[in-house]
Amino acid sequence: METLGAFSLLLALCLAAYAFLASSIGGWKDKPFLLESARRAVYGVFLLLTAASAILVYALMTSDFRFAYVAERSNRAMPAVYKFAAWWGGQEGSLLLWSWMLSLYSAIVVWTNRAKHRNLMPWVIAVLTFTQTFFCLLNVFVEPPFQMLAVGRGITSVADGNGLNPLLQYWLMAIHPPALYLGFVGFVVPFAFAFASLLKREPGEAWIATTRRWSLVTWGFLSIGIMLGQGWAYAVLGWGGYWGWDPVENASLLPWITGTAFLHSVMMQEKKGMMKVWNMVLISATYFLCIFGTFLTRSGIVSSVHAFAQSSLGSWFVGFLAISISITVFLILRRLDYLKSEAHLESVLSRESSFLFNNLLLLASCFAVLWGTLFPVITEALMGEKITVGAPFFNKVNIPIGLALLLLTGVGPLIAWRRSSWESLKRAFRWPVLVMGLTMAVLIAFGVRHFYALISLGLCAFVAATVVMEFYKGARSIAARSQMNFVRAMVELTHRNTRRYGGYLVHMGIVLMFIGYTGSAFNKDTTEEVKIGSHFRIGAYELHVKEVTDGSNPNYSWQRAVIAVHRHGEYVGDLKPERRVYAASQQPTSEVAIRRRLNEDLYLNFASMSQSDPEAAIIQAYVFPLVSWIWIGFYVLLFGTIVCLIPSKVKYAYPKTQVVGVYERQPEPAQ
Amino acid sequence: MILAVAVALTAGVLAFVFLIRPEDLPPAEAPPPWAHLEEKRDILYDNLRDLNFEYGLGKLSDDDYAKAKATLQAELAQVNAELERMQAQAAGKTGKAAAAKQPPAPQPAPGTVCPHCGAKFDKPLKFCGECGKPMAGGAA
Repeated sequence: METLGAFSLLLALCLAAYAFLASSIGGWKDKPFLLESARRAVYGVFLLLTAASAILVYALMTSDFRFAYVAERSNRAMPAVYKFAAWWGGQEGSLLLWSWMLSLYSAIVVWTNRAKHRNLMPWVIAVLTFTQTFFCLLNVFVEPPFQMLAVGRGITSVADGNGLNPLLQYWLMAIHPPALYLGFVGFVVPFAFAFASLLKREPGEAWIATTRRWSLVTWGFLSIGIMLGQGWAYAVLGWGGYWGWDPVENASLLPWITGTAFLHSVMMQEKKGMMKVWNMVLISATYFLCIFGTFLTRSGIVSSVHAFAQSSLGSWFVGFLAISISITVFLILRRLDYLKSEAHLESVLSRESSFLFNNLLLLASCFAVLWGTLFPVITEALMGEKITVGAPFFNKVNIPIGLALLLLTGVGPLIAWRRSSWESLKRAFRWPVLVMGLTMAVLIAFGVRHFYALISLGLCAFVAATVVMEFYKGARSIAARSQMNFVRAMVELTHRNTRRYGGYLVHMGIVLMFIGYTGSAFNKDTTEEVKIGSHFRIGAYELHVKEVTDGSNPNYSWQRAVIAVHRHGEYVGDLKPERRVYAASQQPTSEVAIRRRLNEDLYLNFASMSQSDPEAAIIQAYVFPLVSWIWIGFYVLLFGTIVCLIPSKVKYAYPKTQVVGVYERQPEPAQ
Repeated sequence: MILAVAVALTAGVLAFVFLIRPEDLPPAEAPPPWAHLEEKRDILYDNLRDLNFEYGLGKLSDDDYAKAKATLQAELAQVNAELERMQAQAAGKTGKAAAAKQPPAPQPAPGTVCPHCGAKFDKPLKFCGECGKPMAGGAA
């Protein structure tokens, strides 16, 4: 079985390389048979990688400890879901997942476009299979997943495996990597179309229209992956943080930032034929940052700088990135005439300019995160001394940028495309600014003095007001003209332009997430050594440690503190934080207990029993105001993304001749 | 056993990739050369619709609306004109090509039609039976 797995990988590598050559030559010389064989090779790669992955998963599920990977990442007592998740729990399996997902995406792209984009597809396949060949090379030669445990020349096996890292044995972590990878891998597709379009000097913006949904879905997956990571950090690591500016976290954030910038700026190219070079640079940067993110996560370059020189994986990635970036930059420079803008910025007071600022801010944020992440590597290379920048640096730079972006989130929708006059801007901004001022006044009256928190919550109110106003005005206009009730008019409005109103919903999600992040300015925490039967206080809570129980199952042994929670003197329930020691790895972990409410979370971590007093438990208690809004905001963001993916009704509902006719302005909404 | 499976797998993959019949090829329908103009025209219609909608919501002054609308309509007219020109050109080419493909009218055998007076004869002649002038290419 293991031989078949390894052979499938080898065959997949050969096919991917063949598909690259066949599609390149077929596209260049216009050879339809060669192109068809390249297409089939793409399907073949998918089938072979599926077979290889299935073999690895089968070995994991059946605890076949002859496989080094299975012995290292799984054990018999692990629940089936984590045995399956061990597929991506280690380096080799994780890279195999990357390869498999890329082959799946490639097969879908080739199948759905089999009779479309005759000029572009050979080069789209070439880009996809070039990337595929690289990852298959890693699967076959650098991180092979089908290595066997051996004594001398004979294959052997161990009685039980080491098990998956206990921190990863959590449901969010089981789905976090695939979601993130779906995002990472997915950006290859829009990049491939952009590259092909550039190479062939394809007239028009067909590549954007074709990949619009791909980009959005991919961006959605990347967002899901990042949020699952945050949720996992919050619920598992025991300190209540959801973002620590860790290099691996940053690796996922970087392509998300450039991807977000791309989703905005690409609208300018679609609508006005502007910013073509910029969009090409953005989609290329997003693709390379996805590869770079995988490299950062997998090579250990940042957590251990010396590992960079020693890790063969690192040098493979550097080589691939160097070649790909060089080719892309060369092509962009050679095609500058093709990327010439068809229009110019008509006015500073226009939606175009707000998109421009949005892009500049996102780029600044991306650069700051990249700089901070790579700072240890850069200082090591230049000064021989590794200097790490921590969360304070990232917060200092990114909080003001984030707030400025939040402001633009509100400003953009209020300004018209092309040009706006001061008069109409004053009219549009009147209510949102009033809501912002009122919110800040109320907050100050309630004693809030934290500068950033005030600004952030004020801006959240501003953006929320703009989004509500956009929906309200649009729906009111439709309701008046079409004699609909308001709710139906709201749905109709969204359906007529799902991209715009779905986008506004995404903005609303971002606002809610900012509210959640701002709550961290008011966090409270305490660590107490509490005798069983006694109590302590944090904020409005009184916590009574009732008992500590213990037990075990085949996978781990546990100790659990049972804590009665009273709020303002009223009993609200028990929380049971737990400590575990996993049998296979002997690694201890914390299972925190959280009382989640919209206004604040009470978060308890059972750190350990006291060394000095065996009757006392050490409990870390935290109060996190507003943190639930981060997760709620994420669901709204996800919903908005899904709305964006629904085709707009307007295309078939309104004859084109209508729109160029004289338009009668509706009376101003009563305000 | 393993060798047999590996050989079978390789053979299967090679057969799948390389055994291509002509009917397996996807239809080679190329989009018309003006597809990008149609795409641009649709975008301009969308932009006009957006403009009208935003004007209706009060985001533009009358002046800004009139200017933006005029610009968009001018662009639209330009695109439509270019579109029509390309389509007409393509139709013209098709017409010429069709004419070129018409089977040529049967040519008379050399020496049977007088190049001077146009008289026709059943057999090739050296001199015209009507005007007496030489028939070029006629039988000696």
